[in-house]
Amino acid sequence: MTEHSPPEAATHPRPELQRKPTVTSAPDPVQADAGETDSELVNRAPCGLLVTTSDGIVTRANDTFLRWTGHDRASVLGTPFDQLLTVGSQLFYATRYLPVLRLSGEVREVALTLRCANGGSLPVLVNSSTEFAADSSPRLVRTAIFDSTQRSTLERELLLARRLAEASEARVRVLQDAGALFGACDSEAGVAEALVNLARHAFRATAAAVLLLDEGGEMRLAAGHHPLLDALAGTALRRPEAEALNAGRAVTIVSLADAQARFPDLADALRATRLEAVCAIPLLGGDRSQGLLICFYGRERGFDDDVLALQAALALQAVQVLARVRLHAELHNLALYDPLTGLANRTLVQHTLGATLLSVQRHRTGVGVIFLDLDGFKAVNDGLGHQAGDAVLKLVAQRLRSVVRGNDTLARFGGDEFVVVCDDLNDAKAHAMAERIRLAVRQPLPGIAALFTVTASLGIALYHAGEGTLPTAEAMLRKADQAMYATKSAGKDGSTIVSL
Amino acid sequence: MPSTKTPTPTSVRVRNNVRESGNPLGRPIIFAHGFGCSQEVWREVVPAFEADFRIVLFDHVGAGDSDLSQYDYGKYDSLHGYADDVLGVVEELDLHDVVYVGHSVSSMIGVLAATRSPERFGALTLVCPSPRYTNTDDYVGGFDQYEIDGLLDALDANYLGWSAAMGPVIVGNAERPELGQELKASFCKIDPDIASHFAHVTFLSDNRRDLAQVSTPTLILQSEHDLIAPVRVGEYVHQQIPGSAFVVLPISGHCPNLSAPDLLATEIRAFLA
Repeated sequence: MTEHSPPEAATHPRPELQRKPTVTSAPDPVQADAGETDSELVNRAPCGLLVTTSDGIVTRANDTFLRWTGHDRASVLGTPFDQLLTVGSQLFYATRYLPVLRLSGEVREVALTLRCANGGSLPVLVNSSTEFAADSSPRLVRTAIFDSTQRSTLERELLLARRLAEASEARVRVLQDAGALFGACDSEAGVAEALVNLARHAFRATAAAVLLLDEGGEMRLAAGHHPLLDALAGTALRRPEAEALNAGRAVTIVSLADAQARFPDLADALRATRLEAVCAIPLLGGDRSQGLLICFYGRERGFDDDVLALQAALALQAVQVLARVRLHAELHNLALYDPLTGLANRTLVQHTLGATLLSVQRHRTGVGVIFLDLDGFKAVNDGLGHQAGDAVLKLVAQRLRSVVRGNDTLARFGGDEFVVVCDDLNDAKAHAMAERIRLAVRQPLPGIAALFTVTASLGIALYHAGEGTLPTAEAMLRKADQAMYATKSAGKDGSTIVSL
Repeated sequence: MPSTKTPTPTSVRVRNNVRESGNPLGRPIIFAHGFGCSQEVWREVVPAFEADFRIVLFDHVGAGDSDLSQYDYGKYDSLHGYADDVLGVVEELDLHDVVYVGHSVSSMIGVLAATRSPERFGALTLVCPSPRYTNTDDYVGGFDQYEIDGLLDALDANYLGWSAAMGPVIVGNAERPELGQELKASFCKIDPDIASHFAHVTFLSDNRRDLAQVSTPTLILQSEHDLIAPVRVGEYVHQQIPGSAFVVLPISGHCPNLSAPDLLATEIRAFLA
């Protein structure tokens, strides 16, 4: 172990070493301390010794204590022991040392710091034990005090290192937790919820909320609790939220006085909700704010650089995850809907039909699948180009929407093919529906393909629960497709109905 | 640093280690301990109330035999979280016309609870209260920020070797083995991390403006010599709480519940008579 020199700040007088002349021959145990008195034993002991009343007033002190602290005996005797301590130690003495001493009769190895006469201080370890009178009331307290300068210096270094390590470990843990929590998110609401939980724990916030900006620029509560929303409803205030969004940086209110000076109306609302400090952190993504995280605190709060940096790191993660879940939602949409017409696509209609068949079976009802292929569409595409063709498809989709029923599923199956899945469809209803569709489609196409005629060939497959075995979705679609081809062969612009 | 899990709520009685004694038909009296210890600090005071009061003792979460799993750093980041717990105990036990006796920081916790639900409280006794420990330009709380930092250092210095340093204390006293037996299981236990957070909250809160809101009859008991809550702070509390009674006890120190329990009990009983 290397030598540790005492820190320069420790200006207290160093305890002197009480060296006796070295004895070369084997000492006689009785001769060695010949002349040593009990007074020397006490006063020259390498530790400070005190006696105090049960109320802590010093009544006796040994020479070592006086030498270490530089106080003279007259100034120490009659003084409360806690007045010989630094203020931090006084607080610990009153709130911890004394209750423990009172309740259990003794304390051991308590770390305190003595005030020295020259203005310096001396870190010590203290043992105290109470002596009780015959009626078990405390009579006096004996205290032994050990210089712990070296140990304290080491511990101080250790403590500072530990605090640093803990602070950085805490930051890492928050970010790790964030990684895990955010990783499991698959929706905007989930991300907002995760951010609220993380912030509440990481910053010990009394309440936290995530507000997200919607497409119209309106702010809505996505997760958490915003205690001031009700209090401030309907008022147009210069709120920290607005400032954080506009400035693109965190806005902090550290106390009620701070709020009073900068956001007077907010100060009243804070007081009414028993809060004193606020921090609003914008969620910056791309070129604009996506929303913000806002944390509320029940007492005055400082926000140091570490806290601000961690807030910013969390906000950044949240924004990235938000972008991911939004992209996912968009991809999900793309995978199930036809981007041109906005109708369900083949995947979705197959899924829907499967579900409908199960429901039909359970409820003993019927289901119909209408397969529709446009007649004359290829001519439009070839003659006027794909743009006109796309316009025709969009218009047909619009006309189909207006004739199907609310519960029916309308899909673009591919190219110029459409499918309608109708639950509760019998023969008569199927005829009526087919006719409505046929007439809607064959309307003129003014402004798009005025000189062209586009009609619909329909094939309808019907199934009623209880009639034979439950068909698969594929089988229903195949039957409807075949029926559609029968219509085509019979001259188009008509419908064919088959039952399974 | 706490985990990101929010505690699953447990019953109030378990959370705050609520202990009832005394006369079940008597007027309810709640004793709330201060920073640094547990409900044990009322040991010598309670007997004076046993005959005619329904006595309720509890531990703040983080102290004594409270349920540490209920410690929510956000909730307990201000004294309001502790006041919520006091109100939780009052409601759980369905107490009315409550006499609340709070020591040190629990004085302010009682002030917050009583201003929130004044209909539940019949009397407040504030033992060595201080609404703000740090000095400002226009207020003398007694301490500067660096001195509070000194306490936090002292806490850390003592809890660095927590089990080694304070462990023997818990085991008891060879000269009074009966104490050791009694206290072996739970004696002034405090969780070091929570103690550090509680110290921040206790010594860095400012509840001065809450005092004027108190409408419950209030007694302030002040030590003549108290380094933590000096007489002028007690006088300030007295001035701010309308109609409050103010008694300076002729004793030294911040813990009259331990150093002068009989005197404390006598004054409280006189106030309630």
